[in-house]
Order: sequence, then structure tokens, then C-alpha cells
Amino acid sequence: MSGQRNANEGTEALYAAMLRQYEVEQFLFYEADLLDSRRYDDWLTLLADDIHYWMPLRRTTTAREVDREFTRPGGMALFDNDKEILTMRVQRLSVGRAWAEDPPSRTRRLITNIRVLADADGELQVACNFKLYRTRLNSEEDSWIGRREDTLRRQGDSFVLARRHIFLEQTVILSQNLSNLF
Amino acid sequence: MSEQLITTDRQVDVSQCFNPQTGTLQRHIFTDEAIYQQELERIFARGWNFMCHESQIPAAGDFFMNWIGEDEVIVVRDREGKINVLLNSCPHRGNTVCRAEIGNTRSFFCSYHGWNFDLDGRLVGMPGEKEFYRDEIDKSVWGLSPAAKVESYRGFVFATLDPSAPALADYLGWVGRLGIDFLASKGELEFLDGVVKNRIQCNWKLAVDNLYDWYHVKVSHGTALKLGLVSDAAMAPMDQMVLLGELGHGIGGPGISEEKFQDSMRRLQAGEPASVWYDRNVADRMTGNMIEELGPVGKRSFGHPNIFPNLWVALTNQLCLRIPRGPFETELWWFTFQVNDEPEERRKFNLFMANHVFGPAGILEQDDGENWSHSTRGAKGAFGKKLPLNFAMGKGSDRMEADASGQSRIETVVNEHGQRWTYQAWQEWMQADSWETLLANHSQPPQGDC
Ligand code: FES
Ligand SMILES: [Fe+2]
Repeated sequence: MSGQRNANEGTEALYAAMLRQYEVEQFLFYEADLLDSRRYDDWLTLLADDIHYWMPLRRTTTAREVDREFTRPGGMALFDNDKEILTMRVQRLSVGRAWAEDPPSRTRRLITNIRVLADADGELQVACNFKLYRTRLNSEEDSWIGRREDTLRRQGDSFVLARRHIFLEQTVILSQNLSNLF
Repeated sequence: MSEQLITTDRQVDVSQCFNPQTGTLQRHIFTDEAIYQQELERIFARGWNFMCHESQIPAAGDFFMNWIGEDEVIVVRDREGKINVLLNSCPHRGNTVCRAEIGNTRSFFCSYHGWNFDLDGRLVGMPGEKEFYRDEIDKSVWGLSPAAKVESYRGFVFATLDPSAPALADYLGWVGRLGIDFLASKGELEFLDGVVKNRIQCNWKLAVDNLYDWYHVKVSHGTALKLGLVSDAAMAPMDQMVLLGELGHGIGGPGISEEKFQDSMRRLQAGEPASVWYDRNVADRMTGNMIEELGPVGKRSFGHPNIFPNLWVALTNQLCLRIPRGPFETELWWFTFQVNDEPEERRKFNLFMANHVFGPAGILEQDDGENWSHSTRGAKGAFGKKLPLNFAMGKGSDRMEADASGQSRIETVVNEHGQRWTYQAWQEWMQADSWETLLANHSQPPQGDC
């Protein structure tokens, strides 16, 4: 949508949009790589202090009531975290006895369909699709596919992550835990 | 119809699986398919199963899907305000008539041939009633099958498939009722939208026995301690109390003496800040009428109740239901409540716990699942499944003290009384071929040395 509009505004605007798309993609790919590489402390530095990291619950509803599919803020969620809690999630991995991640799981994140939905006041609203693939021990395998809505705030010549809303394509979580970050 | 559901000609003899004298348990009860099938008949179909809280379905037509063993049921409020529990299976070919897990509807319309059922399960119409059925179908007998009984205790709705089951309040007994009172006596409860659900590759009983397990806490959840989420003293306190009720209900976990309770109350009333791990729990109990409602012993227990077979009443204004999905898989369902007149600080703490500590992403709970799935796995092999497990901790070293109020309890250190009681009850339920036999043969909670 924004791609079409930008195209109509002339070559200049198109180049600017392409450059911005490139910056956004590089940021998201870098961030995913930090998590896949288990560089969690580095990952924390990409988060804004006021980040809201939220994964609502999803339910099967009839088509008529599909507006009730996701829980809303204030309802229950799988993640409803501020930076302090996210920091704790990272710290737990290094203090010992974090059994869900010891031995560590092996993860790979695929980030695709990245679109900049809005760009105003130094903040970009970015939607993307993801797949998080995890194996553990000898034969356990989990994967989660979903959509993310991120707010990237411009900071210096890069971004910090100021909001992440994660919408999974699962109702009952089919894994024994969600011990990884999305 | 319900009667046919609960009679069975299969019977596995499990009478030697748990030995209360030695506290040993045979592992194949976690993996044997025939035992699992018997559990569906003799425990889940027979017992009272938690369905939902009344506030989840306030309006006519509101429904919530749940399970009784492997039978999916629709829990729905009808136009008279009554809550019905209906088998989600069309009597024509057996198709499900409801595919959503929550919602509001005027009727249940079967997507296969279009039989249509009212909110109380009555068959109200179908295509071709006149042309194809020639007006000869008796609609009054072909409705959705209701559960044999549906009853509520303080807003918590339960159902059983067995018409001979005792009344819910009698089934719960004083321990089961007390377990629910821990939550219900706090004030008016409001269900927080969304039941957190996830699957663990474990036998359901291993998830249940863990709720009494205050031995694993510091090891399994050591990170919470190291992160300062919980203090060392609060994590697995030395003061423990166990209350055991007929038919397998129990409450086990932290519990303090009357002296400590009084002392804490005195300090809190004098406006001193909380300084001991149980001050927070005592402060909780000082709200409303809780002290009177919970009784002289109950007020001092901050343990985990289990409503047999599979409903854990957690201290964080939550319930956790453990739903079997075959011998090797269990679904955990977390229900979370808000107490309407709870102090803001307490409400925040409970929400914090619900959001960050429990559930599949919980900082604490994410470490539990693998222990249970691997304990289940350990019962699969030809060698492993023949070896007994040790549930003997504290056996014979403690005393069940009577109380004038009737609230008998064991006051001791970390122990496995709750787990032993659960497996003993499980064995009795599994051996009994009917409610009549179960009520005649089940064990009374121990008295004196135990
Ligand atoms: S199976 Fe329901 S109408 Fe035929
Ligand atoms: Fe645990």
C-alpha cells in the first residue's frame, strides 16, 4: 500500500522508501541473528526503555465473532512484558538452573513480508511475518509462525524497538513452554 | 444415556500399583493405555469436573467449551439463566455442533445435515422433517446429551456424567470446599478474559502430583530465587501444612502456627511493614471475612488445593486445570480472576504472578514441563516401567492433629503426604466399579500418626 503511494510520488520518494525498507530489514535481521546466536545481552541493548512486548491469547471463534479472536490489553496474555521483565528473562539464562534452556534450545528465526505501515514523529510502524523454529535435545521440534507489529524508534543512525505485538497462529500452545523470545 | 457411558466391561486391576505402607508407586500407571481408558471411565466420567466460572458466561447464549476426560462439552447459559453442559456431538452422525471455543449463539446448528439444537440441548428442527422424516422423528429424545448433573459451588461450575454421583458440596467435602473458599472468600470474582492453554507431553497425574510438591521448587525454579523474584524463605518454607479430604481432595504447602499468625496480625495491625515471608499471606487473609470463613486452621494454610482429580486452585487468583489427552499428553488450562475489591497493590502482584510467573512463558513455570514429560518418558521402557517410584518422604514421621473445628491437619516440614493421598485415592477410584462401591470402600483421611 505504502509502496504504491510512494511510487506515485516520484523517483525521489521511491528511493527514500527503498532506503528506509533496507534499514528496517537490516535492523530486524540483525536483531533476529542476535537471538539465534544467543547474544541476549546485546539484544537487550536494542530495546527502548519503555518497550511493551505483548503476545495476546488467540481463540477459535465463529466467523461472526472473529473480533473476539485475540484477547485485548488488560486481559490475559502469553507475554505482557516491560523492559524489566525482559531483562529478567535474559538474566535467568545465565544464573543457572534455567532448565528449559539448559541444555539450550537451538533456534532459527525467519523474518519475511516486512512492510512499513507508518512513519511519523521518528517512529516507524512495521509489520512482518515470522517463523521461529526450535529443536531441543535429540528429537523435540517446535515451530511458531505468526505476525509481528513492531514500533521502531529512530535513534542515531539506527533504531530501538519500542513496541512488539506478536500474534501467533496457535490457540492452544502446542509446545511444553515458550522459553524463547519472538 | 449417561448410564451407558459409565459402565464398562474392561477392568484393569490396579490394586497393587500404589503401596501406602511403603509409599512406592508402579510407573506403568503413567503409560498403560488400558489404565488410561479406565481413568476416563472411572475418574473423569464419574467425578465432578470443573467447567467454568459463572462470570465467564454471563449472558443467555454465552458458551465456553471444556472437556470431561476426552468428551468435549459445551457449557452454555440458556434463556432462563440456567447453565447446561452438553456433549458436543450430534446424535445423527456424531459430528460436533460447536467448533468455536468461546462465543455467544442462539442455537447449535450442526454443519453436517443441519439438525438444530436449542441452548438446553433440545432438538428443535432439521431440514426435511416433513418431507424426508415424514414427521416421524421424535425430537424429544434426539437432543444433545446433557451431563448427568451440573452444580455450582460459589460460582464455580462443575459437571459429572454419572447420575449416581453425590451432590457437589458433598463430593468436595470440607477440604475441597475450603480449597475453593481460598479464592471465593476474597470477594467478588471477575474472570479475566482468556484461558491460557498449552500442551505438555506428560501423563496428567504427574502434573497433578506436582502441585503438592514443595520439594522441587528450589531446584526446578532456582532461577526465580537467583533473580530475587521470590525470597529464599518464601520459596519453600519450612512451615508446611497438609489437609486431606475424602475422595482424594487435599491442600498441601506452606502453613503457619496460630502463634505466628497472631504475631503477624499484630504487627500488621500496628502498621509495621511486612518483614516475614508469611506477612503477605496473612495480610491477604485479613481482608473481608476470610478469617472466619476459612476457619481456625484453614486461615493458616497457604498451600495448594487440588480438587480431585485435576483442578489446582493457585494462590495467585488462578485455577489450573489438567486435561488428559491420552496417557502421554496433558493440556494445562489457566483461568485467572480479579477480585473486584482487592487492594491495588495486591491486584498488581497477582497479575504480575499470573502474567510472568505461571503459564507456558512464565519465568517460573517454563521449567516444569520437561521434568514431567521426562518422568513420563521414564515409564515407557520395558525396564523402567517395572521399577517403583519413591513417594515415601515424611511417611510415618508426622501426625494428623484433630481440631475442635473439625479441621484436622498435619503441621510439618516439606513432605509427600499430598502425593501419597492422591495416588491412594486414584487407586480406590480405579478399583471401584460404581459410586456405591467407591463410597463404601474409600479411605478416610488418617488420624494420629501418619
Ligand atoms: S451429523 Fe449432525 S445433522 Fe447429521
Ligand atoms: Fe513447579
